[in-house]
Amino acid sequence: MAGYIEGRNVSLTFRPPNRAPVRALGGFDIAVEEGEFLSIVGPSGCGKSTFLNVVLGLTKLDSGEVLMHGKPIGGPGSDRAMVFQEFGLLPWRTVQHNIELGLELKKVPAEKRRATAERLVVLVGLAGFEQHYPHELSGGMKQRVGLARALATDPDVLLMDEPFAALDAQTRDLMQAELLRIWREARKTVLFVTHQIDEAIYLSDRVVVMSKRPGRAKKIFAIGLPRPREYEMRVTPQFNDLKLEIWNTLKDEIVA
Amino acid sequence: MAEQAIVRPTFAVRYRKILLGGFAVILFFAAWQAIFLFVPFNPLFISKPSLIAAGLVDLVDSGDLFHDLAVSAVPFFIGLAAAVIVGVPLGIVMGWRPRVGYALDPLMTVFYASPLVALAPLLVIFFGVGVSGKAVIVFVLSVFPFIFNAHAGVRAVDRLLINVVRSLGGGEWDLYRKVIFPSVLPYIVAGSRIAVGRALIAVLVGEFFAASEGIGYAISRFGDIFALDRMFGCILVVMAIAVVLTEGIRWAERAAFPWRAGQ
Repeated sequence: MAGYIEGRNVSLTFRPPNRAPVRALGGFDIAVEEGEFLSIVGPSGCGKSTFLNVVLGLTKLDSGEVLMHGKPIGGPGSDRAMVFQEFGLLPWRTVQHNIELGLELKKVPAEKRRATAERLVVLVGLAGFEQHYPHELSGGMKQRVGLARALATDPDVLLMDEPFAALDAQTRDLMQAELLRIWREARKTVLFVTHQIDEAIYLSDRVVVMSKRPGRAKKIFAIGLPRPREYEMRVTPQFNDLKLEIWNTLKDEIVA
Repeated sequence: MAEQAIVRPTFAVRYRKILLGGFAVILFFAAWQAIFLFVPFNPLFISKPSLIAAGLVDLVDSGDLFHDLAVSAVPFFIGLAAAVIVGVPLGIVMGWRPRVGYALDPLMTVFYASPLVALAPLLVIFFGVGVSGKAVIVFVLSVFPFIFNAHAGVRAVDRLLINVVRSLGGGEWDLYRKVIFPSVLPYIVAGSRIAVGRALIAVLVGEFFAASEGIGYAISRFGDIFALDRMFGCILVVMAIAVVLTEGIRWAERAAFPWRAGQ
């Protein structure tokens, strides 16, 4: 069955000047269903972030193809938005104006922009912080802004590149629960890259384990846990069996 | 409860920076005044604060001081404005377009490093002794801090923010407006502090060479007729203006870029 987002035999080699070329992706296949929450885990440098950038339209691939709705991705588009690991907030803009950035670039009138920002500020739990600057916010709050900014243009697909990796463990747990709540309300297809197996299982419908560089899809795990997900599910035998299975698939790929 | 009380610094502690700095300035003038009690300097070659103050009052009274300042202000601001208009875009393009940067960087570095004041007599011949000649000298001296600071600012732009704007559908022009220019702005303001100092020098030098009015002309004329009290008076006024302008920019930097507090 053809996927909503489909990568076929995706290959990509970086050629930095004066250094040996790096084969980031070597025949990566993936099919993401509409409305699905799909996570990609893999060893460092396996090309999982690179793949997100290809889907986002910022990185061109060498061979193979990435399709969305059956059409090749040619560049950035308002049907996709990224949440970045290091937040990427404009430091000279308030929370509200950061959220409005994508709408501004699409020439949406100010009235409508403000209305959207107001709604999203509430959705991500930042009501009252509209006029704060990023440096006044904690890491978790910054990523809430990053999420609201990505949602503002109402994309079909959210691309999340280790969005919680820069947060402390407790904030991360909280943000995962928040993300699930927001995902339930906003109903987006999510492509989520992470290093954490727990996080991938807890959030996802399916988890793709990638091989070491050049990255391929090694194995795909269907996460059968019921939704809505509860924190308690993390200590069930089912969760732990999955975790062990994924770890066993992943560990041979890790080059320490 | 006692250990929870907020400690309020005393007046002397709270204002010690201003108090100590002001004290040193007063001491300097007091020492200058006092040395005449012990050393019989020739008043033809050096003046003392009491005479300078009297001379200044004279200049203010007659209106000469404000007239000269107003005359000098015109080329000062025209030259500076032209330096911003030319220097900032040029520096940004040099930083954002590597090939433009590689091409122009050596030339600009040579100009920035060399004592361009030496060109002043030539510029006066080219552009005349009026406003235009002086404005050109101001421009030539003050454009390079804007170019180099804008250039440095572009190179410090966070690449992630560029990707953010691109990913949301922003084009080249959006990158300039939404990311590059706001990132560079604090660097430009910092550069303007250097540029203002150089522009002041430019106005004075321009008026030393050829002028019939202006604060630089006044300094040079009072020197020629050995009216040292007035000459020093004018110099002190120029110094005060320099301090007010550069400190004003420093204050504006803190007020205008609240988001930099966390960086």
